[in-house]
Amino acid sequence: MSNTPGSPTLHSNAAMAVELTGITKRFGAFVANDGIDLAVRRGEIRAIIGENGAGKTTLMNILFGLLQPDEGSIRLNGEEIVIADPSVAIKAGLGMVHQHFKLVPSLSVADNVFLGMEIRRHGLIDHAAQVERTRELSKRFGLQVDPTERVGLLSVGIEQRIEILKVLVRGARTIILDEPTAVLTPQESRELFQTLRSFVAEGMTVIFISHHLEEVMEVSDTVTVLRNGRKVATRPTAELSKDELVHMMVGREVSFDRRARASLHGDVVLEVKDLWARDDRLLPALRDASFTVRSGEVVGIAGVAGNGQTELAEVLSGLRPASHGGAWLKGRNLTALSPAAIRQAGLAHVPGDRMVRGVDRNASIAANTLMGRQHRAPWSRGGMLNWNAINQNAETLIKSFDIRARAAGDAVKRLSGGNIQKVVLAREFTNGADFLLIDQPTRGVDIGAQEAIHDEIMRQRAAGRAILLISVQLDELAALADRILVMFNGRIMGEVAGDDADEERIGMMMAGVAAPEFAAEIAS
Amino acid sequence: MEILDKLINVALIAATLRTTAPILLVALGGSFTTKAGIFNIGLEGQMLVGAFFAVLGSIWTGSALAGVACGVAAALVFALIFAVLVVSFKANEVVVGLALNILAGGMTISLMKAIFGTRGSIVGHGIVGLPKVQLPGARDLLGSWAPLISGFTPLVYVAFIAVPLLVVCYNRTRLGLYIRVVGEKPEAAEALGISITRVRYIASLLCGLLAGLAGAHLSLGYITMFTENMSSGRGFMAVAILIFSNGDPLKVLAGCLLFGFADAFSLRLQTFGYPSYLVLTVPYVVALIALFALSYRARPRVIAETLESMRKLLSVDKNTEPGRKNPQ
Repeated sequence: MSNTPGSPTLHSNAAMAVELTGITKRFGAFVANDGIDLAVRRGEIRAIIGENGAGKTTLMNILFGLLQPDEGSIRLNGEEIVIADPSVAIKAGLGMVHQHFKLVPSLSVADNVFLGMEIRRHGLIDHAAQVERTRELSKRFGLQVDPTERVGLLSVGIEQRIEILKVLVRGARTIILDEPTAVLTPQESRELFQTLRSFVAEGMTVIFISHHLEEVMEVSDTVTVLRNGRKVATRPTAELSKDELVHMMVGREVSFDRRARASLHGDVVLEVKDLWARDDRLLPALRDASFTVRSGEVVGIAGVAGNGQTELAEVLSGLRPASHGGAWLKGRNLTALSPAAIRQAGLAHVPGDRMVRGVDRNASIAANTLMGRQHRAPWSRGGMLNWNAINQNAETLIKSFDIRARAAGDAVKRLSGGNIQKVVLAREFTNGADFLLIDQPTRGVDIGAQEAIHDEIMRQRAAGRAILLISVQLDELAALADRILVMFNGRIMGEVAGDDADEERIGMMMAGVAAPEFAAEIAS
Repeated sequence: MEILDKLINVALIAATLRTTAPILLVALGGSFTTKAGIFNIGLEGQMLVGAFFAVLGSIWTGSALAGVACGVAAALVFALIFAVLVVSFKANEVVVGLALNILAGGMTISLMKAIFGTRGSIVGHGIVGLPKVQLPGARDLLGSWAPLISGFTPLVYVAFIAVPLLVVCYNRTRLGLYIRVVGEKPEAAEALGISITRVRYIASLLCGLLAGLAGAHLSLGYITMFTENMSSGRGFMAVAILIFSNGDPLKVLAGCLLFGFADAFSLRLQTFGYPSYLVLTVPYVVALIALFALSYRARPRVIAETLESMRKLLSVDKNTEPGRKNPQ
C-alpha cells in the first residue's frame, strides 16, 4: 500500500520538504491550530485527516500563505521561510489545489492553465505555445485533457485536472490538495490517485486533506491525524487499520456498519411518477423519475452532487415547479400544492443547504424550532405567540436531540454545523409528518454528531416514517438505506439493495452507466 | 420600387455609418466595463460631459483636436469618480451611474448658462469642428461608392477601427484577458494574484476614454454645436446593446449598426414628408423588436425540454393503450 517509489531507505535520506513547528492559530477565542508540528519528507504522500473543524484546512492555508500563524515557524527544504502570501509559497515550489475550483468557464483549458503567467510573443498571447505546453504536461503526468476545449463544457473531474496542471506549470514540487475527492466519482478518484503516485515517482511531495478513511488508506504513505486543532499522531499508513484511524479522529469507536433492523415496510406513502423538472437555467435537470417510498422504509438517492438530486428535493418540497409528471403524498399530488400545503399534507424537509433553507442563523434556537408551526397551539394562542410554551418545547428538544447549546435563547449561528443540523432535525422530526425528505443530513457534520443523526433517522424509520434520504456519501447510504437509487444527469440509473451496496456498481451508475433494466427504459 | 431605390442607396448607408459611429464608440467603451463585470449605466453622462467640454475646449483653444482632448479629459474625470465609488467604495453601480447621469445633465446646463448666458444650445462662438477626411484615391477606386469610406470625420474611422482592436485586445493581450477573467470569475483572478481593483479601474477609464470620444464626436464631428442633453439616450441604447451582446465587440458592432440604420432611415423618411413624430419612433420600435427577438431566442431550450418530456409522456400513454402489444 505504501510501496510507492518513495521507499523507506529513500525517505530516511531525503530532506524534509515541509516542516511546520509549533503552529498556533487563533480566531478570537477559538484555537483552530494548537501547537501543531508537521514534517513531510520529500517524495511521500501524506494524508491529513480529521473531523470537520479539526483544523486541517487552517493548517494548509497557513502553509500556503493564505493565513498567518500566531506562533510557530515554517521550513521548506530545510530553510526557514516566512510565507507572507501565496505568491511566496508558489515561488518556493508549493502548489495548492483548492476544494472549490477557480477556473474561467469561457476560456480554453490552456488559457486557464497559463492564466497569470501567459506565454507571450511580440506582446500578444501565444495560444499555440500554451496549448503545446499544456499537452506536454498532461501527457507527462497522465492528466488527460484537451487543451483547446472550453472549460465551461467540461466535467468536474476534468476541471480538477486543470487545477492540478495549473499548479504544475507554476513549477510546484510539493502539492497540497484540499479534499480532492469530494466532487469525484469513485472511478475519477482512482485516476486521481494514480496521478498522485506519478508525482511522487518523480520525486515530488503530496499532501492531501481528507476525511474519507478509505482513500486515505488506499493512497497515502503516512497519515497525520488532527483533532480539535491538535495533532493526535503521525503514523505510516501500513501500520494502521481503519478502526484505529477513526478512533484517533474522534477519540472513541464509531460504527460505520450497516444498521441492523427489521423490515417493516408498510403502505406506499410517496409515489413519484414520470417526474420532470428544469433547473434555474431552464434546462432539464430531473428526467422521468419514478419511484415509491413506503412507510418504515429508507430509500436512498446516490449520485455526484448536481445530477438532479437538488431539483428532486425542491420539487417534492414545493420549492420548484415540476414540468411533467407528479408526486403523490398519501394520494395528494404535491406538484399542485404550495410548500406550506405540502407540509400540511405530511412532509418534513431537512434541506441540503441548512444555512439557507434550514435555519435562520440569526434567530434563537427556540425561534428556529418554532418555525412553521407558529400559528398552531400550544405555540400560539389567540393570535399571540406563547413564548413560555415555545421555550419549554425548545428546552425539551435540546435535551432529547442532544443539541450542545447553553440555552434555548442562543442564536443558531453560534452552534457548530452538527448542532445546527440537530436543530433542523429536532424541528422537522417532531411535527408528526409521515414523509421525511432528508437531504445531505451529515454534510459538514463531525463524526460524533453524524452518528447521533443517523441514530435519529433510524428511530424515525422504526416509528413507521417513510424516508427519502439524499446523500453524496455512499457509506452513509449503505449504512441507512433499504434501497439505493442512483442518479446521473437527472435520471435514475438503477437501484441497489442497501444490503449489497457495491461501491463499484454504484460508482458506474454515478458515472452514467445505467443498470441493464434501466438502460432499456432510458433508451426508449 | 422607385421609392425603395430612393430610400435605400449609397447615401443611406453612408448616413448609417455616420449615425452608428457615436453609439458604437460609447458602446465599445461600455464593453470594457461590461467585460470587467461592472454594469455601467453612466455611459450617457460621460458622453454628455464629453460633448460639452469638447465644444468648450475647441472654443478656448481654437483647435478641434484640443477640444476632443478636453472632452475626453472630462469624461475620464467622470469615469474616475464612477470607479472610485463603485470599485473602491463598493457603492451600487446603478445608483452611482444614475447620479452621475443626472449630474452631467444638470452640470452642462448650468455651465452653459454661466459661461454663455444661454439655455438650449451653443452654436457659433467660434466652435471648431473636426474636418472631414477625404481619403485620396477613394473616388478612383470605388467610384460612386466612395462615400462609404471617404468623407467622414476622423472619429468615425476611430470607432470602426476600434472594433477589431478590441477583438485582439480581448483574445490576445494580457490586459484583455484579465478584464474578462475579472468580470467572469473574480475569485479566479484573486487566486492568481490579479488585482481586481486595478483591472476594474483600468476598464472604467478605458470606458471613459471611448465615451469621451463619443461625446466629442457628437458635438464636433456629427454636428458642430452643443445642445442640452444632446446624447439623447444613446448611452442608454449602448447599455441595452451591451446587455444583449455581453460586450463582445463584433456583436456590439452588429447592434450599433442596427440602431444606426434605424436612425438614418428615420432621418431619410422625414425628408419624404412622413409625420416626424411617427418617424422619430423608428429607432425605438427597432429597439423594442430587437429586445423581443433576443429574448425569444432563449425559448428553444424550454421548448426542447418540453418536447422531450412530451414525447415521453405520449409514449407512456401509448403503453397504457388497451390492446397495444409489446413490440417484438
